[in-house]
Amino acid sequence: MADRDRALTAPESGPTAEELLTQVGRGDREAFGELYEATAARVFGLVRRLVVDPAQAEEVTQDVYLEIWQSAPRFDAARGNALAWMFTLAHRRSVDRIRASQASRDRDLRVGVRDLEVPVDTVAEAVEIRVEHERVVDALVGLSELQRECVSLAYYGGLTQSEIADRLEVPLGTVKTRLRDGMIRLRTALGVTT
Amino acid sequence: MSETNDPRDERDERRADEPAPDSFEALRGALAAHALDALDAEERAAVERALAADPALRDEADGFAETSALLAAAVAPVEPPPALKSRLLAQLDALPQQRPEAAATTAAPPAPPAAAAPEPEAAAPRHAREPGRAERVAQHRWFQRPGAIIAAAAASVALIAGAIIGVGWAGPNGWGAQREMAAIAEASDVQSSTHEVDGGGAVTLYWSAEQGRSGVIVEGLPDVGAESTYELWYIDDDGPQSAGTFDVQGEETWRVLDGAFAPGVEVGVTVEPAGGSPQPTSDPIVVIPT
Repeated sequence: MADRDRALTAPESGPTAEELLTQVGRGDREAFGELYEATAARVFGLVRRLVVDPAQAEEVTQDVYLEIWQSAPRFDAARGNALAWMFTLAHRRSVDRIRASQASRDRDLRVGVRDLEVPVDTVAEAVEIRVEHERVVDALVGLSELQRECVSLAYYGGLTQSEIADRLEVPLGTVKTRLRDGMIRLRTALGVTT
Repeated sequence: MSETNDPRDERDERRADEPAPDSFEALRGALAAHALDALDAEERAAVERALAADPALRDEADGFAETSALLAAAVAPVEPPPALKSRLLAQLDALPQQRPEAAATTAAPPAPPAAAAPEPEAAAPRHAREPGRAERVAQHRWFQRPGAIIAAAAASVALIAGAIIGVGWAGPNGWGAQREMAAIAEASDVQSSTHEVDGGGAVTLYWSAEQGRSGVIVEGLPDVGAESTYELWYIDDDGPQSAGTFDVQGEETWRVLDGAFAPGVEVGVTVEPAGGSPQPTSDPIVVIPT
């Protein structure tokens, strides 16, 4: 897959996440350790953004990596890249945890781009992450404010579309439309080929 | 406006140009929300049933999934506590991996080495071999794909499908579910297990680890009346998780289980008050190991 111009690119050196995940799928523990080292801060960052409570975020992250270990044999590089696959697992598990624990009721749901701060002194791959970050922030800025609000409440806040409708006091159909239109715009802006 | 999460409440506020909630178009419209994990459990299950049955929907869903993964990429990394890694590595031995193909069982033995290429098992091979063709054939023989049973299941689903013309896409016996049930029955790694129920009748579970789905065909169970319903459960180490309800209409009925099938889970059936229960309130009438 030619993804030089895509946001989730692999580092220049060492095995790619796809290669590592494929090895993990064959039961390779050493590759699992390397994959963990290469991705744990990003996965944990996402989980913590959603779950907030550090102890719960750690539990969820543990579950995510155990699930990665178990389902790696089914990872299909033809249907998306490794990091995206891992983020998908992490997001879903985080959201399930939020809904199970009702923690969403009293979570801080600041919305918006400002809230996606990447500290300048993060981890080794910071440059790469900053580049991705800039692209995503630019793409979010390209949405209407109402679309951005709905997409952010859903993805970064972990709310269901019904909860978003209640919170914003708009009809559910409106939320559905904003989510769909917003995601289509993001997909285009981020150059995701379908 | 009532405060419940009953999806029927949506109908009050549906605009005239909005598709009916059960329609294919509505499911397609829900793909963006699905990629954002913004659907409730029931909506999620309906979308995933449709995805399992429809490659065109899957392509669109993949594009949205990749888009939401980029939203994840914008979040600031946070180093997890150092102890997490060693805790994880210590747990791997206890966790069998799924198989890329052929059926998985709880205590799946490692793939038998091919007779043609005997080689001692390294303790932890740095580069495990991909199973060779002979191994795969051996595995297929080992797991004995029961062709006749599959054909019967597919025919049975087709038969049932023929009997309920006019249902919509969604719902436990809708077109989406029918296609999914057929997809499970025709999966390359499908396995099945039939258990008699005390008091008459039998439940046959079909499962595909590859698809991560399972379904039941139920024959000869008594009708439990309008006050009660049968409920399906996925039972794992965390206890039972509801996988949907069904009622017996006539001699035979079927249902694709809600939620993901993971190799090694047990599937139980209980009788619950109408509408189903979040947790079982009675002992299962049958429990089927996988």
